[in-house]
Amino acid sequence: MIAQHTETPGSANDVHLGCAASKLRNVGALLAVIGIGVAAFVTLGAENGVRHFMHAYLLAFSYALSITLGALFFVLLHHLVRAGWSTTVRRIAELLTAAFPVLFILFLPILGSVMAGKPVLFPWADVQLMHDDHLLHKKIAYLNANFFAVRAAIYFGLWTLLAVYFRKKSIAQDAAPSAELSLSMQRVSAPGMIAFALTTTFAAFDFIMSLTPTWFSTIFGIYFFAGCLVSFFATAILLMVSLQASGRLTAYVTIERFHDLGKFLFAFTFFWGYIAFSQFMLIWYANIPEETEWFLHRLNHGWAYASLALLFGHFIIPFVGLMSRHAKRNRKVLTFWAGYMLLMHWLDLYWLVMPAYDAETPVFGAAELGSTIGFVGVLIACFAHAGRNVSLVAANDPMLSESLSLQNQ
Amino acid sequence: MNTVALNSHASALLEATERPHLVQGEQTFSAVTETVCGIAERPTAPPGFWWLFGFTACLTGLLFTLIGYLIVTGVGVWGNRSPVFWAWDIVNFVFWVGIGHAGTLISAILFLLRQKWRTSINRFAEAMTIFAVICAALFPGVHVGRIWLAYWLFPLPNQMSMWPNFRSPLLWDVFAVGTYASVSLLFWYMGMIPDLATFRDRAKTHTKKFVYGIFALGWRGSNRQWHRYERAYLLLAAISTPLVLSVHSVVSFDFAVSQVPGWHTTIFPPYFVAGAIFGGFAMVILLVVPARAYFGFKHLVTTRHLENMNKVILATGCMVGYAYAVEFFVAWYGGNGYERFAFMNRALGPYAWAYWIMISCNVISPQLFWSRRARTSPIMMWIVGLFVTIGMWFERFVIVVTSLSRDYLPGSWGYFEPTLVDFGMFAGSCGLFLTLFLLFCRFLPMIAMAEVKAIMPQAHAHGDH
Repeated sequence: MIAQHTETPGSANDVHLGCAASKLRNVGALLAVIGIGVAAFVTLGAENGVRHFMHAYLLAFSYALSITLGALFFVLLHHLVRAGWSTTVRRIAELLTAAFPVLFILFLPILGSVMAGKPVLFPWADVQLMHDDHLLHKKIAYLNANFFAVRAAIYFGLWTLLAVYFRKKSIAQDAAPSAELSLSMQRVSAPGMIAFALTTTFAAFDFIMSLTPTWFSTIFGIYFFAGCLVSFFATAILLMVSLQASGRLTAYVTIERFHDLGKFLFAFTFFWGYIAFSQFMLIWYANIPEETEWFLHRLNHGWAYASLALLFGHFIIPFVGLMSRHAKRNRKVLTFWAGYMLLMHWLDLYWLVMPAYDAETPVFGAAELGSTIGFVGVLIACFAHAGRNVSLVAANDPMLSESLSLQNQ
Repeated sequence: MNTVALNSHASALLEATERPHLVQGEQTFSAVTETVCGIAERPTAPPGFWWLFGFTACLTGLLFTLIGYLIVTGVGVWGNRSPVFWAWDIVNFVFWVGIGHAGTLISAILFLLRQKWRTSINRFAEAMTIFAVICAALFPGVHVGRIWLAYWLFPLPNQMSMWPNFRSPLLWDVFAVGTYASVSLLFWYMGMIPDLATFRDRAKTHTKKFVYGIFALGWRGSNRQWHRYERAYLLLAAISTPLVLSVHSVVSFDFAVSQVPGWHTTIFPPYFVAGAIFGGFAMVILLVVPARAYFGFKHLVTTRHLENMNKVILATGCMVGYAYAVEFFVAWYGGNGYERFAFMNRALGPYAWAYWIMISCNVISPQLFWSRRARTSPIMMWIVGLFVTIGMWFERFVIVVTSLSRDYLPGSWGYFEPTLVDFGMFAGSCGLFLTLFLLFCRFLPMIAMAEVKAIMPQAHAHGDH
């Protein structure tokens, strides 16, 4: 019953990156080196430069990590719910998840700052402070360098394992169509999802929430997760559009799939708004000092503008913009919104990370821009490298025909 | 044994890659109509029906008697006293509002996600939503004490220029639950119109023809009517989708906006929503498993439907477990002594029994559904459904009562004890829920015939596209 879909009639059956892969990988690597290099160059000499560089670096790192985590979630969810529609899109996500081991290596400078006891990013890395501050002292069992390192190793270990498992199995299915492979991926997806939920939550606590170690919010893991999904769907749309612009995948990914991706982009934009509102409103309403501290920084001085920009830019405007069927079924309009949401997601992370560096003035310059471009380059290079010899579509997945033919109402 | 294992593996393989038909057996369109209409058209109810109905009607009578007693005497007939001024009334309210969520999720979100298996159970679950909201609304309604002033819940212009507090989540509740009830009712009713028309066309007596005719709104099944119907259905699904999130989020605000340790935590909105869907699906299982055997539509609501629902129960059960764990962790991580105490007090204090009932029922019992055998056995799933329903009631009890009973001042601590009226009113609300549900089973199309027919293979003779 398994149909062969490797040859699609017509000319639009190019499903390989081909020689573009190495070119793309080199461009990505070059962007990474130049971007992060520029960021380091403009900051490291200056006063307070290490702190500035590390915050910009963490911001860009979180940006790349969130997109990659979103891709991993998409793959897990696809198998968990035995989805059909997303089959033609899934390989793109699988290739994006190839970035985890590289991201782990790039995480080492952050880890290093903590291990060295330097509070350049996380105030709790200062052992003396942890002993002197009454409130922080209570958290020492969790907020300490060794445990942080162990946790980070567990997160990246599990993410890499899951990513490699699903990519390998899926690629194996290209060569030998087999329902066994589908079944085993579906079976692993359920425990995989639980591992994903816990690691992502605690990674959000560790990497971002603990920048303000006195502050806490139980919803924070879900808030970060919502951003991961927004950025992944936007990335998937942009990748698909660019691949199609180069003549690839045009027979596989129809406007129906763009429509579906657009719906999810819309849904998670809304979900993000819901979670962000819940977090803000509850803290504002109860008005407990140890919680409001975090929002006070973000609602005063220059950061008030960033907060307003998020409210309108990340929620209200795209909510209206993406609502109509037309916006999701017109490639150009959808491409605009996908790019726009990627920018907004960046702003969201900027708003999460950078007030820890300067609580009064939002700083933006070569450091932030350079490191972000650098990490986008990392994602491009990893994607291209993982995709150098494989099909860009899960060509023998038994559900492929459903994905090719399913139409929206 | 080996062949069985092999066969189950083969069927698992088939399921991994194929979409089997949802309706089982050699079904024709007219057979579906016969099955569903047959239940309501029987001249006499099936044996035992009126006994069951009599029992639930007695409980309903008890409910209204106790409401009368409460109105005449005052809310002091409940066990609510200092420091626990909110107790079973709000617990029951949140419990019943939560039950309704499965209906909205099935009718709205599963529709948008193209989950065709929803068609056999959506009517059922939507009916359950409406009845659950009715039960829910009773409790805050009578808790106001002077029930003749209950209309003050609404912001009505009046000569005293007195308004409800717009900053109070209790007022938001009035709007959230009100919107929810009206949209759910509309969705349920609109979806039923084609089926009501079928009832009308088949009715043997003039009275039935007349009554079903009124509610069928002159449906003729023309092309244009179907076109409009489908558009309206899609729009209503889109409108209902945020309601799945909003209603229980607003309910959670009742607690989370406060500064009470154990109530004020930011994860409450999504956590309450997950819990509501969890409890709602458990209630669907509790009702549909006996109903499909009793009324004979096992070929329409198949084991696959039940298994899918059980998977949703497992998934949302894990989400609820996640929320419990994160709450506990952050209570410690936050470093606030009162918050830490509130959580230790839940797990080890005088209400530890309630806490561990909650954990066993909500987090541990659904883990059985990792096993396919448990997911597909009607008895097992019914038992787990019962556990989950009990557990979700206790979840609200734990949240409401443990936090209030021991707040900042040890001098004002207390231990809540319910009165017989508390027990009677909760039992009575279950009676009201079941009474309405039995009436629905007897007189209305329990399965969305038109929608089920649309997913049968005959409806797609030229392929599924």
